[in-house]
Amino acid sequence: MSIMEYNGGSVVAMVGKDCVAIASDLRLGNQALGISSNFQKIFPVTDRIFLGLPGLATDVTTLRETFRFRVNMYTIKEEREIEPETFAHLVSSTLYEPTGGFRPFIAATDLIGCLNFAKDFVVAGTASTKLYGTAEGLWEPDLDPEQLFETISQTMLNAVDRDAYSGWGVVVHVIEKDKVTTRTLKGRMD
Amino acid sequence: MATVSVYSSPGFDFSNLTRNHFLAEKGLPLPKATSTGTTIVGCVFEDGIILGADTRATEGPIVADKNCEKIHYITESIRCCGAGTAADTEFVTNLISSNMEMHALTHGRKPRVVTAMTMLKQYLFQYQGHVGAALVLGGVDSTGPNLFTIAPHGSTDKLPYVTMGSGSLAAMAVFESNWRANMSRADALQLVKDAISAGIFNDLGSGSNVDACIITANNTEMLRNVEMPNERVQKERTYLFPKGTTAWKKEDIRKLVLTEEVTPLAVEAMDTT
Amino acid sequence: MDHIDMNRLKQGEINLGTSIMAVQFEGGVVIGADSRTTSGSYIANRVTDKLTFLHDRIYCCRSGSAADTQAIADFGHYYLQMQTQTMGTPPTVLTAAATMEKMCYQNKDQLSAGIIVAGWDKKNGAGVYNIPLGGGLFRQPWAIGGSGSTYVYGYCDATYQEGWGKDETVKFVKNTLALAMSRDGSSGGCIRMCVITEDNVERMFIPGDELPTFWEGREVLGEATKKPLAAIAAVSDVAPMAVEV
Repeated sequence: MSIMEYNGGSVVAMVGKDCVAIASDLRLGNQALGISSNFQKIFPVTDRIFLGLPGLATDVTTLRETFRFRVNMYTIKEEREIEPETFAHLVSSTLYEPTGGFRPFIAATDLIGCLNFAKDFVVAGTASTKLYGTAEGLWEPDLDPEQLFETISQTMLNAVDRDAYSGWGVVVHVIEKDKVTTRTLKGRMD
Repeated sequence: MATVSVYSSPGFDFSNLTRNHFLAEKGLPLPKATSTGTTIVGCVFEDGIILGADTRATEGPIVADKNCEKIHYITESIRCCGAGTAADTEFVTNLISSNMEMHALTHGRKPRVVTAMTMLKQYLFQYQGHVGAALVLGGVDSTGPNLFTIAPHGSTDKLPYVTMGSGSLAAMAVFESNWRANMSRADALQLVKDAISAGIFNDLGSGSNVDACIITANNTEMLRNVEMPNERVQKERTYLFPKGTTAWKKEDIRKLVLTEEVTPLAVEAMDTT
Repeated sequence: MDHIDMNRLKQGEINLGTSIMAVQFEGGVVIGADSRTTSGSYIANRVTDKLTFLHDRIYCCRSGSAADTQAIADFGHYYLQMQTQTMGTPPTVLTAAATMEKMCYQNKDQLSAGIIVAGWDKKNGAGVYNIPLGGGLFRQPWAIGGSGSTYVYGYCDATYQEGWGKDETVKFVKNTLALAMSRDGSSGGCIRMCVITEDNVERMFIPGDELPTFWEGREVLGEATKKPLAAIAAVSDVAPMAVEV
């Protein structure tokens, strides 16, 4: 049992035409026992930046606060909002700090990097192997926001159905230039 | 009275190392870091250096990135290919790149390739192999073309042609049979492409595309994806879902552009008396 | 009590599985080494230079971990430069060797390095100092080191004589290393040598296809089927193995 599997959870993000989408499941577990079906794993950083943090729940909440603190400090010092690429580097260097210790969120580093670095999609969490498969099959270039929503939703729903540690509902954020649409999906409860 | 310490020293924190070894011994698998099971090469030619790399990044048996960049910037005329732990190669090259810029600024002249090599080997030696970066460092400076390999424990080698990473054996086989002294630019580039291709096709840890970087005395040319032998073909049909396929329970739309209406109240003439 | 395994290498570390040598003669020293660097069974470098500059007339031969010995040699080089500036005179070979020994001894738990320091200085003339794994400083007329050295101690004992000149010493080093390289799988490639005298440092290079050769065995199985055994016995005092035809 790896610490990544202790609480379960998965995140996927995709690029569309003038939009990005990020989705996660809503399950919080204690190994095989389901605890909650509305555990947040995607956190807004600014209006247009969302950070997905799958992994050990205690680290998820700790890191969320760490990033909130660091982004606030950045905003005060620079007197402007942090940019996605800058934030990706902030995440990357925060997670690199304890080389001698655990590195549970390397994939999350890649994940937030998607906004700039990956041309298609990135995945993380216990269902990552399944997500690679569904995303590789369903994603295509230049999807508009509505199509992207359908693609990422089906990618996520079908992947978590084959993962014992993810599921219990899905939340999807579609980020566009002028609006952010958040939708909670119905998922299998077993 | 004991005070609570809020100071944390800069640099790496090894405090969890013993715990992790203990847990690993008890059978707890540690999470995998993204590693670049890689083919990276470098070779000297008549007027400079050519570096080459594949573009596959792996996490265990999973291909994490199909087109990553492994040729890192050190200075304008010095570049470095990285193999091993992806995060380590990224951070160690960034750090040395930064230190080289500072070095150039304080001394007012271009730093040499050996300077970068010495900084890298001393850094890696200090961490006794815990920073898992295996590097091919190449560039042209006031002393001419220079090419080095740097192993994770901090040992260096200076050779006219070098390979590193899991595909290094396949690539070295190509170099050992076809490398000649004073090759032309075109011949050397072809040789580097062949060496990387040998890694891409014969080593499971390497794959996707070929990146190359040609460094000469007054020009550096980064050839990103100079060869793409594994490009994905257009899908015959699409898997687009019709709108409304996915049912949702709740929707929240947050508008980022605020509109406001201004209703002027009774207009009063300005008092100009 | 468990003893420390001095031959251990860290996981994946690059190794100078080596044959190195240094011999003193009247007026100078000859140092030599093979050119093989290995990482497991892979030859990471087949033209390595293990004869490392420490000062104008002082060199060292490195064996053990490549990373460890390079770090020690780099620091030794730095230390001797600083010492020359503060003292105003070039260091003696003993000073250089003592500096290297101190590093090897004080960090013995973390290092795997066997080093031979050799050179010439005005005070003591030519000198060869052996620093084995774990430290210790021994002045010797000749010293051999690395994994290949175990095969040629007998040859050196039987061959070495005092009072040789440069040419005989060079030949001795060349032959010894060729013998060691032929028996030791971790040694091989080419031979690099340096002759260090008061006047200069002369580098020598013997390519892998020009190494001195010795008795390398003889085909006996094939010949046994062609000729009667008595005919072979007549031309050679080596009796071929009896083969049932």
